[in-house]
Amino acid sequence: MSNHNAAAAAAFAKLQEEAQKDWDRLREKPLILIGAATCGRAAGALNLLEEVKNELAELKLDANVLEVGCMGHCYAEPIMVIYNEGFPAICYGYVTEGVGARIVRDYLTEGDPGIEFALAALEPNDMFPTFADFPRGIHENKIVLEQCGFIDPQNIDHYIATGGYVALTRALDMTSQEIVTTIKESGLRGRGGAGFPTGIKWQTCLDAPGTTKYVICNADEGDPGAFMDRTILESNPHLMIEGLAIAARAVGATKGYVYIRAEYPLAVERVALAIEQARSKGLLGDNILGSDYSFDIEIFQGSGAFVCGEESALIASMEGEPGIPRHRPPFPAQSGLWGRPTVINNVKSLSYVPHIIKNGAAWFTGIGSEKNPGTAIFALAGKVVNTGLAEVPMSTTLNELINDVGSGIAGGKKFKAVQIGGPSGGCLPESAMDTPIDFDSLTRAGAMMGSGGMVVLDEDDCMVEIARFFLDFTQQESCGKCTFCRLGTKHMLDILERITKGQGKPEDIDTLTQLAAKVKAGSLCSLGKTAPNPVLSTIKYFRDEYEAHINEGRCPSKMCKDLIAYYILPEKCERSCDACVGSCPVEAIGDNEDRIKVIDQEKCVKCDSCMVACPPQYKAVVKLSPPHLVEEKDREYREGKQKWQKQ
Amino acid sequence: MNLTAEEKRIATETTRQLLSTYNDSRGNLIPVLQQVQNKLGYVPAVAMEEVAAHFNVPAVDVYGIITFYNQFRLTPPGKRQVKICMGTACHMRGAQIIQESWERRLNIKMGETTEDREYSLERVACVGCCTMAPVVLINEEVHGKITPTRVDGLIFSHQLDKQKEKEGAARDE
Amino acid sequence: MAETVTITIDDRQIQAAPGEMLLWAALDNDIYIPHLCASREEAHPTASCRLCFVEVEGRPAPVPACTLPVTEGLVVKTRSPQVDSLVAMGFELLMSNHRLDCKNCSANGNCELQRIAKARKLRLKPKNLPVLDKNLPVDDSAANIVYDPNKCVLCGQCVRACRKSGNGTLGFARRGYLRVVTTFGGVPLGESNCTNCGACVKVCPVGALAQK
Repeated sequence: MSNHNAAAAAAFAKLQEEAQKDWDRLREKPLILIGAATCGRAAGALNLLEEVKNELAELKLDANVLEVGCMGHCYAEPIMVIYNEGFPAICYGYVTEGVGARIVRDYLTEGDPGIEFALAALEPNDMFPTFADFPRGIHENKIVLEQCGFIDPQNIDHYIATGGYVALTRALDMTSQEIVTTIKESGLRGRGGAGFPTGIKWQTCLDAPGTTKYVICNADEGDPGAFMDRTILESNPHLMIEGLAIAARAVGATKGYVYIRAEYPLAVERVALAIEQARSKGLLGDNILGSDYSFDIEIFQGSGAFVCGEESALIASMEGEPGIPRHRPPFPAQSGLWGRPTVINNVKSLSYVPHIIKNGAAWFTGIGSEKNPGTAIFALAGKVVNTGLAEVPMSTTLNELINDVGSGIAGGKKFKAVQIGGPSGGCLPESAMDTPIDFDSLTRAGAMMGSGGMVVLDEDDCMVEIARFFLDFTQQESCGKCTFCRLGTKHMLDILERITKGQGKPEDIDTLTQLAAKVKAGSLCSLGKTAPNPVLSTIKYFRDEYEAHINEGRCPSKMCKDLIAYYILPEKCERSCDACVGSCPVEAIGDNEDRIKVIDQEKCVKCDSCMVACPPQYKAVVKLSPPHLVEEKDREYREGKQKWQKQ
Repeated sequence: MNLTAEEKRIATETTRQLLSTYNDSRGNLIPVLQQVQNKLGYVPAVAMEEVAAHFNVPAVDVYGIITFYNQFRLTPPGKRQVKICMGTACHMRGAQIIQESWERRLNIKMGETTEDREYSLERVACVGCCTMAPVVLINEEVHGKITPTRVDGLIFSHQLDKQKEKEGAARDE
Repeated sequence: MAETVTITIDDRQIQAAPGEMLLWAALDNDIYIPHLCASREEAHPTASCRLCFVEVEGRPAPVPACTLPVTEGLVVKTRSPQVDSLVAMGFELLMSNHRLDCKNCSANGNCELQRIAKARKLRLKPKNLPVLDKNLPVDDSAANIVYDPNKCVLCGQCVRACRKSGNGTLGFARRGYLRVVTTFGGVPLGESNCTNCGACVKVCPVGALAQK
């Protein structure tokens, strides 16, 4: 350990002192946190914020109100947390219009904490359970997400007061090799999806000749159904910035970039502000904390191309070109941006770095499993009850994640599959539920860790359709440069479209399998090499669904529009109710001679409105597959009527 | 969609002004195009030619970039840009149905702008609000858990807003 | 660094300049490997046509010859079951998206696709895949060049040539299946800044660009 940066430690101690003061001031009054990341905003968090502020003004109450990021409990948004003297901190969920004002009023004027609206307490107490008392809490181990939703992402002092930038200050006292060795020993693997050891990447870059080197944070999170990186950047941007600065220190880079998707405007805004604040505190820029080390960060915005998540395409994009992948080797760590050695790490990979530097490699390897240390961060979406973000130790099983953390399937439906790893991943069925979540096990099962998107599917989801959806996605996002990806995925998509329209041929499954194998082997970049995975895994585990579509023109999940018809069960239709008639956008529903509602199949656009509109006590609207069943049902109805009239 | 002479003039001037703040290193090319689009809402041919000249690249390369990336538009957007999220969760929760509702209501297809330039329709890859699926963005505003009836409701509220604006304008005169 | 290195292609020992791509070492020694997009002038190989796969000793999967720098003692085979089936599929994919009209095509008899089909005993007409015609208009607006985008295999040879001898008129646009070689704004050649130098026609391996 060199100690020529002692001045830096002293400078940082001063920053910490200021931050602590700022942080302590918050708790002198009641403190209200409102989760206002993009997900919260979509649920109406900004209205809630206004409502709470108005209520406080009206009651002339003095309290601190903070806009924070996302705690991960997206299913219960909008979310509010209140810290009030004499009570444990309480987290409220589903705080819809009017509820927020009511809680604030009752709690702060009458001392009634409104337990009926509470999700859980945040600290152990003897009156109310905490998140740790739920099955979810048993599995969760928050490292990267620890502060998300509890600190103001727009205030650097909050980050510093909760232990931020300690690791960077320590890294200033370490040699490059010491930092790289620590990361290597921690066994950290890239959380962007491929799981390449981060330490080895850094070592390659450190050993590469040349004085100009770059570090880039890859925040081009493009997997549909994944929002981990967005949440981290919106809720705690400094964590990634600190990780990036340490990476730069480790490989000897003086310039860093954050490549963020244009679709994430709020993340861009918050990262920009965080960089600004870090500069003003002397944590970025020339002579960080007065030491001999300089490093600065710039934001580069993507322009909407999924393929730019691929390292070489990301670099092409930054060099003012279309995002078209280049042949590797050379790898970016040898020759990257402008031909210089460049480390590119995902947001999550970088977010572990400060924690590893602070707590040591051994601490990190103590979590998870031997070859897959640390935690896995997943975005749970789809048909699961608790949609949102979860962080669990690696090697937690799928079953534990979906049923304990996610509370199982919504609406009492039956679980069918879980789609992991987005367009490069696969669908795993019930029988694979005991698979431990780690890079190697998931790949063996036919899916992929990917970046952490997890979409849960139930009995209403058609597996052929989900495969078609992903192929459609990769087909649209393929850069089109190489033969196998451009044309191979196109042919595969055409076949899948035919199957979902009921025009499949018996040989289609074989053709798909052959094409898939060649596209995997022949494509230039990982987008093409992994594009067939969703198709292969659904054929492997759900071949019967493919066969039902091809051989019977039937969609078992009643999802493929061309293979279903909407039908109103005469015996269930309440004649005097017109709910479905009013809901139909194309006026396809009318009365028959018995005043029973009938759908004109010619006009019907299968928009699902009537099914939603039909009151739950009748449930008269059903989907039939194959569609010709409508004629049979009609015949049954007429025959039944004749019988009844004869009597 | 043909641009008026006025539109072309504005586009040229805006682009030149933006370019004056950037040097010609190739790394600035895409950020400049993003700025042009932020200012104008689209990147017309005259702007691409200005940019190509500034960076000394063939104009076709700028056209190649604009047509490669999803974010760039070649035509002016509507006053309200409706972007339908096509992420996995949204798709499984009926994004297709929502897309068709908009198309039916506005009488345009994806990627088009209405005659009166009030609305344009686009698909957007996942916006990361999967828990609120299906999601629609109108300009920068995120709307979650959309149904066909909510599409009607949104359009109706826009009409009311417009009505109010008109009345306000009439009062001001 | 030795002047040359010794490598083995299909059991033949060959001298080549170290670092040179295997594809050129093979072609210079009259060993044919199918290829469309490769160019000797490119510092970084495009590697987009995916037809020049070879089997490399000690590597589990076939490697594109245009991306493989030769090193002392390198042993490769241009044919193997793995390579052949991969190239066959790649070729079939390309042919499913190439408008076949050999009889009336300017490149007939001098076409790289015909050459590959002959060398590898492949059919020009795709056997298992349906034809995907691009259905784009043929552009004969230029003084002496006809461009049929439906025949184009996106190798990029014309784009390079146009930059060297012409005005940089041609370039790639769009992406995925819609990727296309076109002009600024997609206007016909006759309305573009094309100088009619014909450099693109000379290098087009498949007759998508032809002399009038």
